[in-house]
Amino acid sequence: MPDATAATAAIELRDATAVSGEYEVFKRLSVAFPEGATTVILGSTGSGKSSLIKMAAGLLPPAEGVVLFRGQDMGRFGRKEELAFRAASGFVFQDAALWANTSIQDNVAIPLRVHQPKLNQAELAEKVRATLSRLGWTEGLALRPVDLSSGEQKLVSIARALVHDPSLVFMDDPGSSLDEDSMDKLYEVLSELKSRGKTVIITTNNSELAYRYADCLGVLKSGALLAFGRYEETVAKAESELDVTLARLRARGDRVGPKPSAGQAEAGSEMSQRSDV
Amino acid sequence: MKLLSSLGSKARSYSSRLLYALGFFYEVLKETGRFFRKSQVGYWVLRNQILFTGYEALGITAIMAIAIGAAVNVIGSSIQQQFGQSQLMYSMLIIVITRELGPLLTAFVITARSGTAIATELGTMVVHHEIEAYMAVGLNPISYLVVPRVIGVTVSIVILTVYFNLFGLLGSYVVAQFLNPTPTPIIEYMGKLLSILTVTDVLSGIMKALVFGMVVSVVSTYQGFSVNRASTEIPVAGIRAVGQSFILIIVTDVVVTLMQYA
Repeated sequence: MPDATAATAAIELRDATAVSGEYEVFKRLSVAFPEGATTVILGSTGSGKSSLIKMAAGLLPPAEGVVLFRGQDMGRFGRKEELAFRAASGFVFQDAALWANTSIQDNVAIPLRVHQPKLNQAELAEKVRATLSRLGWTEGLALRPVDLSSGEQKLVSIARALVHDPSLVFMDDPGSSLDEDSMDKLYEVLSELKSRGKTVIITTNNSELAYRYADCLGVLKSGALLAFGRYEETVAKAESELDVTLARLRARGDRVGPKPSAGQAEAGSEMSQRSDV
Repeated sequence: MKLLSSLGSKARSYSSRLLYALGFFYEVLKETGRFFRKSQVGYWVLRNQILFTGYEALGITAIMAIAIGAAVNVIGSSIQQQFGQSQLMYSMLIIVITRELGPLLTAFVITARSGTAIATELGTMVVHHEIEAYMAVGLNPISYLVVPRVIGVTVSIVILTVYFNLFGLLGSYVVAQFLNPTPTPIIEYMGKLLSILTVTDVLSGIMKALVFGMVVSVVSTYQGFSVNRASTEIPVAGIRAVGQSFILIIVTDVVVTLMQYA
């Protein structure tokens, strides 16, 4: 299991401050997201989760402080480094953020067109189809986002973030708008990402998702990171102000294993069964 | 003291906005230089922009040009006849339509049609986080969304200006046939126009069209990106795009005209 404090950081925020207009979302926040681990940041609505994950993904520049990607200051990235980072990462937006004037096929294909320009049309279409089918989507590729429900849009957004097989995946509240069947698909995808050693950073208020997949867990409240570390340590540390969030997780008891490295799919499934107990 | 503080605060805010706008313009120029040098996913955006701004505006431009050409002819003929200077009609048509009204009115039409469309479209994309989504996949919003629009609008305005000039002069001819008891054959009419028309007249109109195209497209894209998060900001961005474009078009028109005649 990756050590939240000792492992190499894929992404690190150092004394980072986020502002939105006149409002300070968080101030001088420092956190390191370990390489190869799934990190879940739990927090209620308005706690600053989206700002935190967007800053970690280089979509929201810090007003103060720095954001590092594998030790390099993202604020100093040139065009080449920026493109390399984008090729290595995928981002799932809280509200899907699909391109409205573009078909589902093209929404998912654009990352491939940008990062793998040598793919021919047939190869590109096959990759899009394969990625969408992992999420249970097999038809209606010519539809526009407006024709889909919010849950369906979310699934397409997840496919768009994964289609170019990034090593680093950011997910801003990936479970919002998803029905139970779609959540199962999401869990399958997360199990697969874990089994392949991808770095996954998730912000959510879904404790079930944290229980199943978090190697590292953080709790964000009103722009302050109240706790951050390995899942078990963070849950065990539940203090008064974290009781509501973490007591729920502590009550679930031990997990099957934080990282299903052997027989991954089965482990993910077993973990899922335990969580239902 | 409070007044001074308020003035200082406004001055800082204005300077900051001005610097941001200049930075935006610089980025647009830089990315425009790069646009044709590399394989671009933005080509289809450029194609669509030319289709919408140029091709789809052909009808309204033609109608307006014919009407303006006719009006210039009617007004010009009546005034010049009073001074016995009817032969100046052709010079006036060339100067008024080719040098001034062609580029100016075309730019106004494009501002009203495409300027608002661009500002509101980009504003909507900002509100729905589509711009962030482009950034997340590695597409620079300036090179992918702004540059094709700037090139598309500028190319369209130049072409539409030439088109306006042709229809304006044609409209003038059509009216002349109704007003004149002894109609002029079109060959003679065109021959007289071409004998007066100089390369400078044509280049003057095209130069203005180029400048106006840059003004409309940069202002509209800038206003589109100025939307932050609320959908109520979108129509405001559209209104600002039109207002600022009109003012800057008139100012640059005066400047370019002064440069040409000074």
